[in-house]
Amino acid sequence: MSFINYATREIQLKIVYYGCGLSGKTTNLQVIHEMIADEAKGDLTSLATSQDRTLFFDFMPLVAEAIKGFQTRFQMYTVPGQVMYNMTRRLVLRGVDGIVFVADCQWDKMGENVESFDNLLENLKLQGDTLDNLPYVLQYNKRDLPSIAPPNYLDFLLNNRGTRRPTVNAIASKGVGVFETLNLIAQLVLNSFIRKHSGGAREQETRKEMVLM
Amino acid sequence: MAFALTHKDVHRLNRILQDLLDRSESTGCVVCDHSGYVLAQRGVDSQDPLVISALGAGVFAASRELARILGEDKFSAVFHQGERKSIFICAASLDVLLVVIFSNEASVGLVKLYAGPAADAVRGVLEDVRIRESTVQAPEHTFVLNLNEDVFVSQ
Repeated sequence: MSFINYATREIQLKIVYYGCGLSGKTTNLQVIHEMIADEAKGDLTSLATSQDRTLFFDFMPLVAEAIKGFQTRFQMYTVPGQVMYNMTRRLVLRGVDGIVFVADCQWDKMGENVESFDNLLENLKLQGDTLDNLPYVLQYNKRDLPSIAPPNYLDFLLNNRGTRRPTVNAIASKGVGVFETLNLIAQLVLNSFIRKHSGGAREQETRKEMVLM
Repeated sequence: MAFALTHKDVHRLNRILQDLLDRSESTGCVVCDHSGYVLAQRGVDSQDPLVISALGAGVFAASRELARILGEDKFSAVFHQGERKSIFICAASLDVLLVVIFSNEASVGLVKLYAGPAADAVRGVLEDVRIRESTVQAPEHTFVLNLNEDVFVSQ
């Protein structure tokens, strides 16, 4: 659920990075925080354990002039990937406007990817949402590692819900695919917002085509 | 669907918050929802209200789970005491929180005393908004994308 403040001319939108443990969700936000201009970002707040595993969430506000006459504030969250922190994932998912599912491409992580994706569907259902109604992007991360599944196998496992969604091949630790993912989800969320608030008639084509990779 | 506040709504919320600041001698306060959205704020310009809101919503959600584990229906408020500054968070409604920040020169009792009625007043404003949104056709507003290139650029 987005939030519009007509008095301050501000729109707030919430994007959540979801995925199994150690898939690279926090790395995505860290790279964005390092590489984006100061005026477009707030502090990156990480609630992590001593082993640098996300305990509660990472949070970073981003700001853009993406809608005429309004300042658009994106609230970027990650969830803890470890199975035992499901209650926390539910809390972070509240009011979400768009999702990036970060999949770990290593063969031995396929089971965890599928489990995490099913967990996302279940948690959305519990809050009365469905992935079919939400903008989301699949990021296939860690493409530089040996023993990884090809993108079409990841599509077969995770991108098989009627309408195919955009995917991005990424090496988040090296910054590859991170901004592509960010811009894809930002544009999808913005288009969804415009569509909901303007009856679909005024949706504008954005420069970037959504390409299934 | 989005939750939208008009100038009038924001003005009413700001008056409630300013009144709370004046009476309780607090330094800042934020009204946020359980998703972490900032609905209104006074006196927290030097900090980032979005971060306060996100963390405040997280803290309060965690405390609700603790309450559930202990067999309580809910904890209606959370208080964190620091050496120089403290924070008091209470529920204005099921999904809206009032976060009050105050220096230790202010009295926590005074903050609690005035935060309750302020939270009730905030709830009243938001109930009016919900009733309006469910009964009154909102004036059509055209949102237009302002994108000639990527939303975010790496440097």
